Amino acid sequence: MAEIAQAATVVRTKRSKLSRARIVDWAFIILAGLGAALFAIPLIFMFSSSLRPLGEAYKLPPAWFPTQFQYENYLTVLTHRVPFFDFALNSTKITFWVTLGRLVTGSMAAFAFARLRFPGRNVLFILLLASLMVPIQVTIIPIFLMMSKFKLVDNHLSLILPGLTSAFGVFLLRQFFMTMPEELFDAARIDGAGPWRLYWNIAIPQAGPALAALTIITFNQSWNDYFTPLIFINTWENMTLPLGISALKGRLESGNPSVVMAAVALAILPVLILFLAAQRYFIEGVTMSGIKG
Amino acid sequence: MWGDSRLRIVYRNTLYFTTVAVFFNITVGLLLAVLVNRKMPAAVAYVYRLAYFFPVLVALVFSAIIWQILYSKDTGIINYYLNFLGMRDIAWLGGKATAMPAIIVMDVWKNTGFAMIIILAGLQGISGVYYEAAKVDGASGVQTFRHITLPLLTPSIFFLVIIFGIGALQVFDSIVVLTAGGPGDATRSAVMYIYENAFQLFRLGYACAVAMTMFVVISSVTLLQFRFGRRWVNY
Repeated sequence: MAEIAQAATVVRTKRSKLSRARIVDWAFIILAGLGAALFAIPLIFMFSSSLRPLGEAYKLPPAWFPTQFQYENYLTVLTHRVPFFDFALNSTKITFWVTLGRLVTGSMAAFAFARLRFPGRNVLFILLLASLMVPIQVTIIPIFLMMSKFKLVDNHLSLILPGLTSAFGVFLLRQFFMTMPEELFDAARIDGAGPWRLYWNIAIPQAGPALAALTIITFNQSWNDYFTPLIFINTWENMTLPLGISALKGRLESGNPSVVMAAVALAILPVLILFLAAQRYFIEGVTMSGIKG
Repeated sequence: MWGDSRLRIVYRNTLYFTTVAVFFNITVGLLLAVLVNRKMPAAVAYVYRLAYFFPVLVALVFSAIIWQILYSKDTGIINYYLNFLGMRDIAWLGGKATAMPAIIVMDVWKNTGFAMIIILAGLQGISGVYYEAAKVDGASGVQTFRHITLPLLTPSIFFLVIIFGIGALQVFDSIVVLTAGGPGDATRSAVMYIYENAFQLFRLGYACAVAMTMFVVISSVTLLQFRFGRRWVNY
C-alpha cells in the first residue's frame, strides 16, 4: 500500500506535482479513516447496544445511534440482581495491592541489581531473566497446590501474594536505573549516604516515567487477568470483573444481551480513563518494555 | 502422554493459531503504522492511533464477549451485512473450518495495535538522511520501502515475532469464551488442555507433564527464532 503511495508521489511532471501529491495524501487519510472506523465498530456496537431497550436487543439492522437514551441496562447491572459492585470492588482491591507490591519490590530489587555490588549479583540476575521465559501455565499448578496447602483457595490472597513480585518489573526498572549518571550516586556516597538514602532520595525521585509505565502496565494486566482468578476463585462474592462477567454471561444473556454489553462497558471504563489520562506514559511504557497489556 | 491423540490435536491447533495470528498481527500492524505515519493533521493522527490502539487495552475476555455477539449466526451483525452482499448465514463459531479463523480475526483486531505502536516507534527512529540519499539516487517509492524502511524495521519486527509468538502459544481466554474449544476439539488449545486436565478432571500430574512440554516448546521456538533471526535482522 505504502509502496503505491510513495511511488505515486514521485511525480513525473513538475507542474502537477503539488496537487497530485496532495490528492494522494488525502486518499491515504481517508483510507486510514476507514480502517479506524472498522476497528472502532465492535466498541461502538458495544456502547450503542448497551443503550438499547429490551425490545430492540435483537433488531437488525442494529440502531447505531440509539433512538432514546436507555440507561436501564446500566441500572440492571448496578442493582443487586447482579453482584457487579462486588466484582468491581474485588478487582480494585487486587489490582491495587498487586500494583503497589510490584512497584515496591520491583524498584528495590532493581536498585540493588543496578547500583549495589554484591557477590552473586550477575548469577541472580540471569536467573531472574530466565524466569521471564517460564510461562504461567507451568508454574500455576505448583502455586495452586501451595495455595491449597495454605488454605487460601477462593481467597484474594491467592491472587495477591504470587502477584507481589514480577521479574518483568525488576528488569524494566533496572534498565532505567542503569541509565542514571553514576556521579549522582558517587556524590551522595561521599556525603555519607547509605544504600537506603541512595535508593529513596536519589534513584526513586528520578524514576518517575519508568514507575508510571510499570504502574500502568501492571494495572492493565491485573485488571484484565482472567486465567488466575479462574483457577483460584470459585464463589460469586470473590470473583473479579473479567471472571464474574464471563460467568454471568449465560445467565444475563438469556434475558438480554444489552445488559451484558452494559456490564462490559462499565468494566472497560476505568481502563479508558486511565489511558486517556496517561497516554504518553502508556505508549512510552509499551515501547520501552514491549509487554502486551 | 505420547499415545494421547488429543494432545497432538491441541498442539496442531495451537501452532496453527500461533503462525497465522502472529503473521497477520504483524503485517496489519505494519500497514497501519505506515498509514498513520504519513503526513496528516495531528488531531486526525491522534484519533486514528487511538482507534487502532484502544482494543489492546480491552481485556481479552471482554473482546471475546463482544465478538461473540457480532459473530452470532442468526442475530449477529456480521451475517446481517454479509446478507447484503448476497451471502447466506454462516455459523462462524460453530463451523469446524471457520471457528479458528474467526478467533484469529478477533485476535488481530485486539493485538495488532500493539504491533502498530512498536513499528511506529521504529519508523520514527529511522533517520531522514537515508531517504534523502535514496531520493538523490532516484529510487522509487517501492524501492525505498523495500531496501531502506523494511531492513531498518527488522529489529522491531523481530521483537514482535518473539513477543507475539510467546503470547499466542499460550492462547486461552479468547477461545474459552468464543468456542470453549469446540466444535469437537477444533479450536482447543494446549493451555486449555492443561487447564481442563488439572482443574476439571483433576489429573494434576498429567497436566504438569503437558505444561512441561509447553515450556519446552515455547523456549525452543524462542531460541530457534533467535538463531534464525541473525539471518534476517539488521542491527
